Amino acid sequence: MLSRAARPALRAGVAAAARPATLNATNAATYATLREIEGRLKSIRNIEKITKTMKIVASTKLNRAQRAMTESRAYGQTSNTVFEQAETKPVEGEGKKTLIVVCSSDKGLCGGIHSGMSRKTRKILLEKPNTDLVILGEKCKSQLGRSNGKNIVLSFAGIGKDVPTFADAQAIADQISLLPTDYSSIQIIYNKFINATSYEPVEIEAFSEEAIANSPNFSAFEIDDEVLSNLREYALANSLYWALAEGHACEQSARRNAMDNASKNAGDMINKFQILFNRTRQAVITGELVEIITGAAASEG
Amino acid sequence: MAFAWKAAGLTYNRYLAVASRVVRRSLNEEKRLQAERRGEMDLRFAKWENGKQGENKSLASANEAAMAEHAGQGQSS
Repeated sequence: MLSRAARPALRAGVAAAARPATLNATNAATYATLREIEGRLKSIRNIEKITKTMKIVASTKLNRAQRAMTESRAYGQTSNTVFEQAETKPVEGEGKKTLIVVCSSDKGLCGGIHSGMSRKTRKILLEKPNTDLVILGEKCKSQLGRSNGKNIVLSFAGIGKDVPTFADAQAIADQISLLPTDYSSIQIIYNKFINATSYEPVEIEAFSEEAIANSPNFSAFEIDDEVLSNLREYALANSLYWALAEGHACEQSARRNAMDNASKNAGDMINKFQILFNRTRQAVITGELVEIITGAAASEG
Repeated sequence: MAFAWKAAGLTYNRYLAVASRVVRRSLNEEKRLQAERRGEMDLRFAKWENGKQGENKSLASANEAAMAEHAGQGQSS
């Protein structure tokens, strides 16, 4: 996954490296190129400074995000244990719709984590075109809004400014449960945090009331029918919180890696340009010397 | 109905949010400031129809409005 995160920065590096080579060939050893190279060198240095700072910011945020993620895992896993014990399975109802909740965020500059999620969503949509989408975060909204705008029923913005809170998850879960359509199952797609450099889009299931009531081992729990809808709403909020927190941690770590790579590329480019700059300067001086000497020789003779 | 909050049109999540807000507010001063940050929610949302994005609305106020509407239905039925 590291290579994917590095791709846009690499591409920019290749494009920029290709440019001066042709420039150098056409009007070599003139004052204009010297000044141009100097200007470019300066701007790359500035970019390096920016990416380095962003990396440091992302690193500190990553620590907090990871702590929030481990805490949120308790929420998600505890509520999942209930369904595992009850052996709940999604109902294969005819004509009933599935809802997909995509957990991305508002901010970019973090490699391919949003597009990876959009790709997974599109793959699912190809198999089941009659699926509704709820999208959290601007990034996936703009990506999926272009290709699958007809499937979207709700979109949320304002996610990813800070570590997601449980209040966020609750409010989203409320708004989702207020949707008029009765969904047979709700799938939440989020980026699973594997380690600091890798993540993958996965889905977790949030079950409908019917699915919970029909689960084979349901009698193990003493639940009144009346409380069932509460359980479902609460489980949805739990899963959402888990997905949001884990997605947030992935985003921060991806951003850290992307900025790390960008700084590295900028460093490489600075080295390259420094050498080019020195060579050009040397060439200019040599040229001048040659001119002076030939001039002197000519006037003497 | 068994639950008073349900009759008032609240969802379980809303009920939990209100309850946790009360707990947070009754904390000590310095602990409360930290805890209240965990209860903040500032999201916006938009409904989509036929591939077009609707108006951006604040999620908190929309949830409250929806629940108030729900409350009316709960009493009439």
